[in-house]
Amino acid sequence: MTKTLSKNELESWLANILKERTLVAPRRVDDLTLFLPVHSTDEIAFDCSNTDLSPKDWFFPRTEALFTAEHKDDDIEITPAVIEQETVIFGIRPCDAKGIAILDGPYLGDPADSLWAQHRAKTTMIGLSCSTPAPQCFCTSMGGAPYDSSSVDILLTEVDDGYAVETVTEKGETLIQGVELKESDVSGSVPSCDAQVPAEGIAEAVKKAFDDPYWGRLADRCLHCNMCAYVCPTCYCFDIRDRTEGGKIERLRTWESCQSKGFTKIAGGHDPRADKGSRLRQRFCHKLLYFPEQFGPLGCVGCGRCVVSCPVNIDIREIISDIQELGAKVGEGSN
Amino acid sequence: MVREATDKVDVNPFVPFPATLSRVVDLTPDVKLFTLELDNPEDEFDYKPGQFGFVSAYGSGEAPFGLTSVAYRKEGLHFAIRRVGTVTNSLHQLEPGAKVGVRGPFGNFFPMDDYKGKRIMIIGGGIGFAPLRPVITTVLDNRKDYAEVVIINGARTPQDLCFAAEFDDWAKAPNTKIELTVDAADENWKGRVALIPDVVADLKPSPENTIAVICGPPIMIRFTLQGLKKLGFGDDQIVTTLEGKMKCGLGKCFRCNVGEKYVCRDGPVFTFEQISGFIEQF
Repeated sequence: MTKTLSKNELESWLANILKERTLVAPRRVDDLTLFLPVHSTDEIAFDCSNTDLSPKDWFFPRTEALFTAEHKDDDIEITPAVIEQETVIFGIRPCDAKGIAILDGPYLGDPADSLWAQHRAKTTMIGLSCSTPAPQCFCTSMGGAPYDSSSVDILLTEVDDGYAVETVTEKGETLIQGVELKESDVSGSVPSCDAQVPAEGIAEAVKKAFDDPYWGRLADRCLHCNMCAYVCPTCYCFDIRDRTEGGKIERLRTWESCQSKGFTKIAGGHDPRADKGSRLRQRFCHKLLYFPEQFGPLGCVGCGRCVVSCPVNIDIREIISDIQELGAKVGEGSN
Repeated sequence: MVREATDKVDVNPFVPFPATLSRVVDLTPDVKLFTLELDNPEDEFDYKPGQFGFVSAYGSGEAPFGLTSVAYRKEGLHFAIRRVGTVTNSLHQLEPGAKVGVRGPFGNFFPMDDYKGKRIMIIGGGIGFAPLRPVITTVLDNRKDYAEVVIINGARTPQDLCFAAEFDDWAKAPNTKIELTVDAADENWKGRVALIPDVVADLKPSPENTIAVICGPPIMIRFTLQGLKKLGFGDDQIVTTLEGKMKCGLGKCFRCNVGEKYVCRDGPVFTFEQISGFIEQF
């Protein structure tokens, strides 16, 4: 027997959540679907596939003040940023939730990033299994699954007449308290994601292919538009700068991308990654080699957003295959 | 992978310690030596030679700089800062008494204890000489712990040599040599006109029981390294402090990585034995 909720019951539950907390859910805006606050459940795009931008904004906003500073007499008064708002994200996909969870590695590592920690603590995630993964999806190749509940607080899976409910964490338990769930004998197919990207052993292959001219060739067509980093749920590099307005100084953290020209340029003018090839290599080495070395999981969850967004079709799935082949060749050569 | 977030919200590691500029001295036409005093005595800032901190000019931002003082002298935090960008331009406009911020100390440090009993070559070019000053201070304050010291300080012109006021004291210290060199002399300059790698080639230091500590522009480091290796120095006898564009100092912004290493956390001090093992070579 499985705990279930009908579509109507889900909507009234979400409507109740709305009264007390910020509810963020997929919403259609022009031709995009984005995670945005909703004011009524009518605004929720229940039937959407992956949103155009990942929900990382709600944990790592594209611009966020770390603190504010103000001149007071002869002193400077600092007010650290505090996240007060309790937020519920509805409809987050297992891959996106995993993207958030793996960023706990860098962000909660000592010393913990207090803003990230606060966003995590104040946000409850109601996940939604993917009943029909998109053509660009490859979560199963990256260690995920369309019904993976490991990174959400509650996971809903569409079944015949509503949703199967799996409560995963205490936070989820608290949120769903008072909601009457039925015990049903559910039927429905287990969603599958059939893409086969050969990610097994990719870290070793990247190491072997590190000095290959492949990266330079691939980067020839890169426009360093940074779209890949913008849409990626696990790209977390940032910039920090000050903004002054009316005597109030904000120290802002903003998204930044390793594909930007000058990302590594130092004060004397030297840029160790001045060419596009070494910058493109950095992106894939970070996700496929450095991140797993430091934190365990691969730094890609297979959401496929960069695949559809890249204006010149730089495709991480193809890159992983190419690198496996190159790595194998280098391996043979050294024997 | 999911860690408990709730108990980690208290301290915001991006908030600097409040500090006051107590002294500003011109070192060269575009380098000033800033002395910072922490405003709150309870703030801990204990550091070792080679470590660095971020200095905030509120409204302009913050940037990382090597500490040029030594903690045990308790003379405040010294930073030699060249005027090159937004933050450094703002810092250069500040006068003693100005309120600033400082975060740190960050990074690893020169293992001064490991250098005891050894001869030390301290080779710095331009503003790259600044992070080597605490190495010199430590050696000269504990003179008998170390063998001969050879200081090579180079700059574009005689006016650009950092810490000129201290050259006489260093030269007078026992068992200490100082070699100054410039790329372009002026009418008063009686010293060497040569690039640092050429000075090293000319001095022909023996690698025996010697550690070479180098810091400067990438091109100077590259050719000095080649020269030292030609003289028989092993990669483990040559140490440098790397510079990397960085924003946090905490191993989070992922901007200063060289391959799998962070300059901010694993470095900035590396031997060339370590550097030659990095997957990415700068």
